[in-house]
Amino acid sequence: MTVPELSVRDVTLRFGGLYALDDVSLTVEPGSLHALIGPNGAGKSSCFNVISGLYRANEGTVTFGDHDLTRTRPHRLARMGIGRSFQNAALSPHSTVLDNVMLGRFALTHGGFLSCGLRLPWTRREERKHAERAAEICDFLGIGAELHAPVGSLPYGAVKRVDLARALAVEPSLLLLDEPAAGTNAAETAELASTIHDIRDELGISILLVEHDMGLVMGIADRVTVLDFGRVIADGPPADVQADPEVVRAYLGSENAEAG
Amino acid sequence: MSEIATKSPPEAPERAPSPKPRRDALWWVRKALWLVVLLVALALPLYLEAEWLKAGQYMMVGAVGAIGLTLLTGQAGQLSLAHAFFLLAGATAYTVLSGPTGDPELLGFGLDPLLALLGAVAISAVLGLAFAPVAGRLRGIYLGVASLSLVFLGLYFGQAAENLTGGTSTGRPPAEFSLFGFPFSNEGDLEILGVPIRETERVWYLFLALTVIAFLLARGAVGGRVGRAWRAVRDNEPAAAVMGVSVWRAKAGAFAVSSAYAGLAGVMTVLWFDLLKPDESEFGTYGINVSIAYLAMIIIGGLGSVPGALVGALLVNGLPQVLALYSTELGWSTGTGEHAFTPILISSFVYGAAIILVVLFEPGGLAAIGRRIAGRLSGKQRERNGS
Repeated sequence: MTVPELSVRDVTLRFGGLYALDDVSLTVEPGSLHALIGPNGAGKSSCFNVISGLYRANEGTVTFGDHDLTRTRPHRLARMGIGRSFQNAALSPHSTVLDNVMLGRFALTHGGFLSCGLRLPWTRREERKHAERAAEICDFLGIGAELHAPVGSLPYGAVKRVDLARALAVEPSLLLLDEPAAGTNAAETAELASTIHDIRDELGISILLVEHDMGLVMGIADRVTVLDFGRVIADGPPADVQADPEVVRAYLGSENAEAG
Repeated sequence: MSEIATKSPPEAPERAPSPKPRRDALWWVRKALWLVVLLVALALPLYLEAEWLKAGQYMMVGAVGAIGLTLLTGQAGQLSLAHAFFLLAGATAYTVLSGPTGDPELLGFGLDPLLALLGAVAISAVLGLAFAPVAGRLRGIYLGVASLSLVFLGLYFGQAAENLTGGTSTGRPPAEFSLFGFPFSNEGDLEILGVPIRETERVWYLFLALTVIAFLLARGAVGGRVGRAWRAVRDNEPAAAVMGVSVWRAKAGAFAVSSAYAGLAGVMTVLWFDLLKPDESEFGTYGINVSIAYLAMIIIGGLGSVPGALVGALLVNGLPQVLALYSTELGWSTGTGEHAFTPILISSFVYGAAIILVVLFEPGGLAAIGRRIAGRLSGKQRERNGS
């Protein structure tokens, strides 16, 4: 399977007079692990929401291979092979782990009210096949033992993994991860970093990662884009970006920070 | 699809965990309990008097309607107070479609009753779909209030369209139901174990079949892809969209399905009353109080739970009927005046209190209580297996 390139070109997003994103461009090379970092309010999540079609950019384009994502309704993205996890996990707490992960198979399966309601043989067969795959993904992420537990009863680290499993269940060629380490402890973060690295290596897919945790990002990313006040202030391999004075200033702050 | 085969997960274990829930003793107990309930329901007409069967039929009418509402409000998270309107729509559609042709005062198409029933369900679904553009834009209490307007619309049209409904003064009798020529009336001699199976018994079996179909369809949908999309839309719309669910379509679909259920409950209502009579006030057979009664059923039963809706309907629709029967049997003086303590009033108090108790102490309703008992039992069983 060929993995298309994700290209964000000159995207501007305004909320009233406020520029959430100001002429942002970045390219996620096929098969790479690309990190999008920046201080609080830098526009990382806005950028994510533009890519996944939840926000409409005022200017600029986002393309994924031949698809223009700026003109695509969000529910079409899963069919193009884009999976996404959420900062706050965004799961159904009363449903089981398997049920939540199976939602990721929605675009790959068929059947409406009547075929589900009548439990038609082909619907059941399809459901079974996809449930097996969902179980495999859960097992790979270390939550295989919790398949039938309600998500609400799991510890937070496991909940984040369910969210990740659901995004993987889409069978994505591009995986968008929105702060996968948010709210997890140091040990869980380290485990997560190696899991994300494994996913990229084993599946050969592109990953775009929004993250706060610099340690996690610098350890695993191939390329890093730094946002500050909605603008790209650095873009390059982790070591270069880390040494960039602009980035240091944005993260540590300086007298000029407000002016930016 | 080919991606499934080509992309095996890294370090796949020898044996992946089973996606199927375990078929333990509790699972069998549950299946056996449903079987017993079904057998009892099948046997009841052989033992019960007609007026008790009538009461039971009304509970089944409630069950079908409540299952529809719990799919919409509990599963898809859309508050609707329009249920009574769709009941009226279904009732009217059945009466018109199956009504005799050639009556100058009343419109009728003379369709076979089964076709008329299916047509009424389809028309109700389409009406629900027509409301979808509104439903897609509103949520919570705003959607509830907007949907309430349909009840008033129903009140107005019911009174205005006399050639469909027969008007408030006389109403209009529906065509007797028949299935491939078998009449659901007192015609013909039919006996089971020496018990004559007449209209009441036959309609009981008809309603039981409809309830079972409605129940199984809903259970299947909730457990499958459709129900998953509904819950996703209820719990987080952006997440649902990103996973490939068209939020608008899922909401519209839930409204159509729920309206179809309400339409079927409407057909059953008109067969039960043996009369289609549009309401004179908003508190009639198809009024606000009915919409609220359906909400009460699904709240008491536990929002989103199909078996819960069933039990909720037994309580809310059953209580007034049973109380009325007992009051005559026990010789209670019920009175009929304006301030009389009627069975309907008493049961309103009872289910009002039940709602308050549920909301205060168990927001998950009877379904959550059931789950807790099952959890206890399976916990005990696991302990026993472990030791």
